[in-house]
Amino acid sequence: SWWYMRATSGSSRVMCDNVPGLVSHQRQLCHRHPDVMRAIGLGVTEWTMECQHQFRQHRWNCNTLDRDHSLFGRVLLRSSRESAFVYAISSAGVVFAITRACSQGELKSCSCDPKKKGTAKDNKGTFDWGGCSDNIDYGIKFARAFVDAKERKGKDARALMNLHNNRAGRKAVKRFLKQECKCHGVSGSCTLRTCWLAMADFRKTGNYLWRKYNGAIQVVMNQDGTGFTVANKRFKKPTKNDLVYFENSPDYCIRDRDAGSLGTAGRVCNLTSRGMDSCEVMCCGRGYDTSHITRKTKCECKFHWCCAVRCQDCVEALDVHTCKAPKSPDWAAPT
Amino acid sequence: SEYDYVSFQSDIGAYQSGRFYTKPPQCVDIPADLRLCHNVGYKRMVLPNLLEHETMAEVKQQASSWVPLLNKNCHIGTQVFLCSLFAPVCLDRPIYPCRWLCEAVRDSCEPVMQFFGFYWPEMLKCDKFPEGDVCIAMTPPNATEASKPQGTTVCPPCDNELKSEAIIEHLCASEFALRMKIKEVKKENGDKKIVPKKKKPLKLGPIKKKELKKLVLYLKNGADCPCHQLDNLSHHFLIMGRKVKSQYLLTAIHKWDKKNKEFKTFMKKMKNHECPTFQSVFK
Repeated sequence: SWWYMRATSGSSRVMCDNVPGLVSHQRQLCHRHPDVMRAIGLGVTEWTMECQHQFRQHRWNCNTLDRDHSLFGRVLLRSSRESAFVYAISSAGVVFAITRACSQGELKSCSCDPKKKGTAKDNKGTFDWGGCSDNIDYGIKFARAFVDAKERKGKDARALMNLHNNRAGRKAVKRFLKQECKCHGVSGSCTLRTCWLAMADFRKTGNYLWRKYNGAIQVVMNQDGTGFTVANKRFKKPTKNDLVYFENSPDYCIRDRDAGSLGTAGRVCNLTSRGMDSCEVMCCGRGYDTSHITRKTKCECKFHWCCAVRCQDCVEALDVHTCKAPKSPDWAAPT
Repeated sequence: SEYDYVSFQSDIGAYQSGRFYTKPPQCVDIPADLRLCHNVGYKRMVLPNLLEHETMAEVKQQASSWVPLLNKNCHIGTQVFLCSLFAPVCLDRPIYPCRWLCEAVRDSCEPVMQFFGFYWPEMLKCDKFPEGDVCIAMTPPNATEASKPQGTTVCPPCDNELKSEAIIEHLCASEFALRMKIKEVKKENGDKKIVPKKKKPLKLGPIKKKELKKLVLYLKNGADCPCHQLDNLSHHFLIMGRKVKSQYLLTAIHKWDKKNKEFKTFMKKMKNHECPTFQSVFK
């Protein structure tokens, strides 16, 4: 999959031919736009980190496998909520990475939004379009062409699910495209104003998709196989912004190579929490080990004129709780 | 060395929020013509600054309109406060001014600014700035002597330093400038209303040619404060100002005094001086 591009950010040619699982249209785009591929490859690190941030308190924590061609292992073979989230955030990540590279002038095929020129009006009066407006339409177009290419090959249910979630991801980025302005009048007054459109921090997209993950809608294929219907009639129909999935998730409690689950043995848990990161939930009732550690931190920092910040070293003692391994060892689990 | 760099967890990323991820922050010398901050007490600053000015040209253009306020001595910490934002100290993370400093400067200087038709701007809102110890509050030691007791109640627009540089700066920060004689001064709604005659524009700005004939100027909130320049109306004046709503406010007044050395230097400099302009910065 193109997700593997993270590991291979070398020269373009080598990269395109070394990424396993690209479909022919993706390979063509790869050869034609090496600079865009570089941006996408760098973006993979960013959106996987965002995925890991969002799942940090969960049994499945969006961990990646270095040598795995599909980056996340077999977990995502299942058409689960987690798959829905990863497809959405990965396609969002591509939109974000390409759009940003555009604005930074790193891509030959695009630039800042050429439509944002001249003067315009908003509720605060007239302003000049200035600086660089993020060209998100280009990012979305390229992301759709590149990321969706794989799903357009087959017409099976999973491909439709991926296409839906990919689109939800792209739309999520655009949701946080906001107008920013600067005032140039004397003494900070706003008599002269320039504005531009800028994407918000990727964290906002991550948080939004996380909410969509929690409210993801389970669907089944409709009878003619062209779209979805809700699995449980009491729930609302999914919109283009919602994430959809077919299969319930495994519990991710124990290591299961076939399912791609690492299990939660050794994971840190929170003794005082009552949520997903609580020791009860995280360790699946197996119990936890506690170790005492001390940590050095900078504290009582003060600014001194001029110009230094001086801090004290503080030593903090704390207990770390980690989940116990299952009684029957992992390697004895049937394969 | 002069600077003591303390390493934090790589927090430099905090500079790169918003629009400005395009350029990594850099440390540069505070240039001599960034008059607001050149003598603030440290020599290097971060670009983009904490007001999101990306280039030095933009910093200079924006900072220039604050120099006249500095000359009003409304608060001892004004320069340190403004420069902590316009020309931030070069450390590996951004250091904002302390909220209490912001509030102290605002409380002392906003009344003065109002004489010039300004309010405390959005970009300097004090509640954005931190409380605590990692913020700028220090006053450079040499600034203590510059602080003079606030005994004067002169109208701030009349409290002008007769220094050629200061007049030039003021001219750049003003929207219009005229050489004129004054027919009469009246009190009106808490303002001084100034009726000119024989006007010769040096810089018209927002004044339309046809308005020039009937032009009336106001010294905002100035009904009861003394303005010694207006004691004697027999000579010419250099008057600078700006338009606020539909009123033309007087923001500086000088006797047109060709015998004065500083004023003569100013007249000479003015011919070749170019103010930093919005256009030259944003082309």
